[in-house]
Amino acid sequence: MLDLIAQTDPKTLWNGPNNSAYLITMIVIALVVGFGAMFGLMAAPARLRLPIVGVVTFISGFYYVLLWLYPAPIDRSPANAPRGPFEAASFWLADAQPIATTLANTIAGFLLGLGIYSLLRIHLRKIAKQQQDWGYSFVLVLSLIAMTLFGYWDWIIRQSPAGSSLTYAPGPDWRLPQFGRDLLFDGVLQQMDAAMFSLIAFFILSAAYRAFRARSVEATVLLGAALIMILSLLTAVDYGWNMLVERVAGDNPNSLIQNFQLTVMANWVKETLQNSSIRGLDFGVGIGLLAMGLRLWLSLEKIGGEA
Amino acid sequence: MSDTTRSQNLGSKLQSLPRQWLYLILIICAAVPLFFSVAIPDQPDASSIDFFANVMSLKPGDRVLVGTDWTNGTRAESGGEMEALLRILIRKGVKFAVYSTGDPQAPQVFRDTMERVNDEEAKAGSRKYERFNDYVVCGYFPNSEGTNRNINDNVLQAFAGRMDHTEGGPPTDVRQSPVFQGVSSLSDFKMLILVTPSNTDTITLERVKKTKLLFMVTGVMVPTDQTYYASGQLKGLCGGIKGVFDIETLMRTGLAQGQSSKWGAIPGFPDKPNAGRATKYYLALHACLTLLIVAVIVGNVGMVLSKKVAR
Repeated sequence: MLDLIAQTDPKTLWNGPNNSAYLITMIVIALVVGFGAMFGLMAAPARLRLPIVGVVTFISGFYYVLLWLYPAPIDRSPANAPRGPFEAASFWLADAQPIATTLANTIAGFLLGLGIYSLLRIHLRKIAKQQQDWGYSFVLVLSLIAMTLFGYWDWIIRQSPAGSSLTYAPGPDWRLPQFGRDLLFDGVLQQMDAAMFSLIAFFILSAAYRAFRARSVEATVLLGAALIMILSLLTAVDYGWNMLVERVAGDNPNSLIQNFQLTVMANWVKETLQNSSIRGLDFGVGIGLLAMGLRLWLSLEKIGGEA
Repeated sequence: MSDTTRSQNLGSKLQSLPRQWLYLILIICAAVPLFFSVAIPDQPDASSIDFFANVMSLKPGDRVLVGTDWTNGTRAESGGEMEALLRILIRKGVKFAVYSTGDPQAPQVFRDTMERVNDEEAKAGSRKYERFNDYVVCGYFPNSEGTNRNINDNVLQAFAGRMDHTEGGPPTDVRQSPVFQGVSSLSDFKMLILVTPSNTDTITLERVKKTKLLFMVTGVMVPTDQTYYASGQLKGLCGGIKGVFDIETLMRTGLAQGQSSKWGAIPGFPDKPNAGRATKYYLALHACLTLLIVAVIVGNVGMVLSKKVAR
């Protein structure tokens, strides 16, 4: 693992020469500081935790607000130096962005660990106490362990020069780790993923049959628009319909009848009705998101207006 | 039995067909057409034509970024889209870097797909693409918003520390790949093509400005992305199985002179195998959507009959 981290250039605070004391020291310091901060936060009194989280949230959000609002450097080359404090701030904001993104990616990675910890805590307890449906919990934990084991086993082998030429489809060089990973990932997980998604077709058909009724004028308009859009997806129908309209219209491309080609009607629905409606919705959602973002950034969501 | 009672019975019967029968008919509609090969005529959408024309405008050695956020849940649509895209990129000799901000499984699903398409293309006479030299996989990034902003502002820093390797070689920083040679900004990539079934479409669109954006999305996402295509923010859009069918048709026939007001004639690949998932699934889609229309009509006829009698 150290080899992989150390290959990243240029060498900065965040990496270092392979197997160097510097790199190992930095990793140890980062771990100590990270765990220290985590345990410190856990040990802090409850009334202090909220302001700490609020301050961290505000600082994190403030950086991205500045990045959005502050003038960004234009056509900057690596040799350029800032010509004053205003430009220096602009450069600093731009340079800090990869670090901020890496930090956010790392924190998101930790969330995965937190999720696994939480999952194991709940389900191992259930298995130990043989609570109701503990068998499902056993299958879950077993699947988690098997997938992790075979996934990493195969991955580690593929990192070596000999392993890097292994194919992802079954081949003569495949051994237990490759067959295990393939069975679990491609054979089980991916197929179950596809099977779950395909169930939607049954729900859609059932729901359309039972609920899609022309009970009012609005519902009838909706039904008509949906019919035009669905028929326009059936290119065999689309093709035949358009041929018929063209035949009725004769050789006149400006005939009013030409507007009744399925493609023309579907495009009219898309460009005139659908696009404008969705833009309206998007504006509304955008304003709502802005308001929600502000409330979260300023921690008003948790502590209300009393802060 | 009187006519009124008969109509009432028929009306209520039509409105309450057993769910199991509907499901059985759906299974038949989805499965049986897969065994038949029927040539279905097609009139490609303007958005698909723009997508095809933009990708076909790439020259050998050009570089593109490919975002892949799909897994096998949407393989009928996204899988077909990715396969069609890879065939064009391989045939055109375009180098590409792949990343995901949508799903941790996506890079592995891409590797599986790439290996299969690469083998098929090699058998069809194309040059076999070399991992790391012709394409490079930069992995998964959990923070989509920050990563996309970073890709736009500093593409090399965005992929710093990510490793991939040649066949038989050690893991190496992806930026040392020939795909990244001469790249200093996102504008050095001719375009960013995103294959996604999730909300990473809007996240990318809101943040990536320095290169052309082309999306390949699922059918349900088309209405949303259509607005961005209509506004010119997207230079091409391939949506759902219809979109892939359009691309596969254009790959076979090419774009004829006068077929589009924006583009001239663009030759396709008539001597290569172009039929992919969409060609295979399109008849099944026809059958399933026809069943949906019939089911809605049956339900409504039942409602009308019941109402008539009630009056």
